[in-house]
Parts: sequence; C-alpha cells; structure tokens
Amino acid sequence: MDRRIFLKGTAAVIPATVGLQMLTTRFAFAQGSDFGSDEDVLNYALTLEFLESEFYRQGNAAGVLSGKEAQYVQTIGADEDAHVAAITDTVMKIGGTPVEAPAVDFGGAFASRDSFLKTAHVFENLGVGAYLGAAGFIKNKDILQAAAGIFGVEARHAAIIGNMLGLPAENGVYMGSTETPKDKASVLKAATPFLAGASAMTGGAAVTL
Amino acid sequence: MADKEIFNGEAVLSFDNEQDRRNFLKWAGIVGVGSTLAVGGFSRSASSAQAEDSDLAILNYALTLEFLEADFYTQGIDGGTLSGRELALVTPIRDHENAHVAALTSTIGDLGGTPVKSPKFKYPEGTFSDKAKFLETASVFEELGVTAYHGQVTLIKNVDILGAAAAIAGVESRHAAILADLTGGKPFPAPVEGTKTMKQVLAAATPFIQS
Repeated sequence: MDRRIFLKGTAAVIPATVGLQMLTTRFAFAQGSDFGSDEDVLNYALTLEFLESEFYRQGNAAGVLSGKEAQYVQTIGADEDAHVAAITDTVMKIGGTPVEAPAVDFGGAFASRDSFLKTAHVFENLGVGAYLGAAGFIKNKDILQAAAGIFGVEARHAAIIGNMLGLPAENGVYMGSTETPKDKASVLKAATPFLAGASAMTGGAAVTL
Repeated sequence: MADKEIFNGEAVLSFDNEQDRRNFLKWAGIVGVGSTLAVGGFSRSASSAQAEDSDLAILNYALTLEFLEADFYTQGIDGGTLSGRELALVTPIRDHENAHVAALTSTIGDLGGTPVKSPKFKYPEGTFSDKAKFLETASVFEELGVTAYHGQVTLIKNVDILGAAAAIAGVESRHAAILADLTGGKPFPAPVEGTKTMKQVLAAATPFIQS
C-alpha cells in the first residue's frame, strides 16, 4: 500500500511502524490525485448525496414499506435531502459551483421491500466508504467536521437498513471493527449503474466517468 | 442530561493502586478535565493548551473511552440478559470495542506514546442484571462515544490518525443506531453527528474518581 498521504500539497511519509494494526491494513485514502480541492471533494459527495436523495424520494413514494420501517426510511431520506442542501450551500460559500443532480435510473429497485432495502444497503455502505476515502483530502477544518458528521450518519443508515434486512450482525449490520475507505474509482464504478447518463456529470464536477 | 443517567452520579472510576491513579490524573490533567480537577483532597489546575492539541493525548482519551465500553459490554454480555437477535447484535459490539482498545493501544505505542492503563470501572447495582438498563446505558455510551470522536475531528493533526479515528467513529455510529433501535430511541437523531469536547465527555464519563 502507498503510505504517502497528501495534505496541503505535501506528501507526508508515515513511518511503517505507525499503528500497523489500525492504520496499515484498513485505512487507505483514495489515490493522491483523486481530488484537487475541497470543492472537488464536496462535489463528489454532492453527487452521491443527490443519488441517495433521489433514490429515497422514489423509493418512499413507491409505498413498499410500512410501519416503523417506513418511518425509518422517511427519516433517512430526509437526512439525505439535508446533506444535499448543506453541501450545496457549502460549495457556494467557498466560491465554488455545485454540480447538478445527475440523471438517475434505479431500474426495478422499488418493486419490493426487499429490493428497495437491499439497494439502499449498498448505497449507504458505499457512502460510508466514499466519505472515509475522501476525508483525508479535505483541507478546511469546518468542511472536514461536516463531512465527518455526515459520514457517521450514513453509517447509522447502513446499520439500520442491514438490520431491517435481517442480515448477519457482522458483515451485514456492522462491517467490522473499523469502517473501510473506498477510493473514488471504486465508488464511481459502483454508482455508475444508477447514473442514467454521463452528460449529467459535467459542469465542473469532480466526478468524471 | 443523558450523562447523568449513565451512572446515576455514582463513582465509575477506580484504580488498582496509587500509581495508576496518578498516571490517570496526569493524563487527565494534560487533556483538561475541567478547569480544576479536584480529587482525593488535592486539586490541580488542568491543562496545557499545547499538549491539549497532541494527537497522542487524543488517542489516549479515545482509549480510555474504549476501555470503558469494552469493559461495559464484556460485563453486559456476561450478565446473560440478552438472547436471540439482541445477543447477536450486541456481541459484535463488545468485540469491536475490544478491537478498538487493542488498535489504539498499539498505535499509541507505535507513535512513541504511552498508552493509558485501563481504569477500574464501577457501575450502578443491577446494570447488567436488567436487560433494559443494560441496553439503555449502552445507548447513552454509544451516543457519547460518537460525539466524543466527532469532537476531536478538527483537532487531530496527523491525517492518518484522523482516518483511523474516523474509521472507528463510523462503527460507533452503527452501534449507536442499533442500540437506539433496540431501546425504542432514535437511530437517526440528526442529519449530521454532533460533537462534544473532551471536557464535556470526561465530565460525563468520569463524574467522580475514586482513589
């Protein structure tokens, strides 16, 4: 693994002995060239949040959930909406241009409770890995705090949806004793099937397909 | 608020010997447990701003909370009040907290620091013989742990340590959500995780230190 970490334009070499157990095998930031600025990271996150927000909007409208499950997932959808709003605001505050919402196609995801929740589970865990993988690129501390705060909530979503699906506690509800970061390439690869067109990702987006 | 519920104001920390107690106080002083820490008849003014920023101090702070959680869940599982899905959901939490203790301990050592030793913890009578009490206390702990980690996000200087801490924090968020669900609470209390300062968290987790 490449142990070089890019922060503020410099590459810091972390000694190989540093926290081997915790740091070496489980934590890897995305490739150094993935993000050039906080705006890049934010627009990457915004694209994923748009995807999630629209996913839950459509899914919750499909009416395949009921009772406590429906309530939980309504709240999750509202969280994603809040993330979209907060990240959009932040991009504008730092003088950037928020990406547009991508065109999406969730196929038959809302045909049943199970397919809705299974897809949601994938999205949430993807989001968790994406935030963790991108966190090391964020230079502004306030943005970092917000991104971390969102990351934690995505982890909550992932756990509850995993539990709703009755998945095994380990590797279902929880994904080990630490979260695993995902780099941009693998996140985009996982998200691509739900994006209706590459053209939706233009306009200064950090995300290129 | 919820902090008071944890131990009903009872002492939760005790130490095997005077040296352990002093070690803990030394560390607690470094990270700043309140403006004045009065224990065992003496008081000292806490905190040096310089050391408060230290990543090692933050890691030792996290380690202390993880010790607390690991001990808590070990006793809780041993208490035998859980079964079925609840047991299946809570057992890995115990294992995670133990893994966090091990990971933080080795990381602190690798960074040239000295890992704090585990304080001895004391819980109110009946915490582990009453399922509801156990799970509700666990829920409070998890929410406290989440806010503790998030309260340090902007203070951690080494980006790799930040990543490792975040990787743990995310798991604590999962725990918090599941325990909220098990106890009829709110798995998603807000769209972003809240924060608490070290001072706030330690005030909650260590209301009293027994000599």
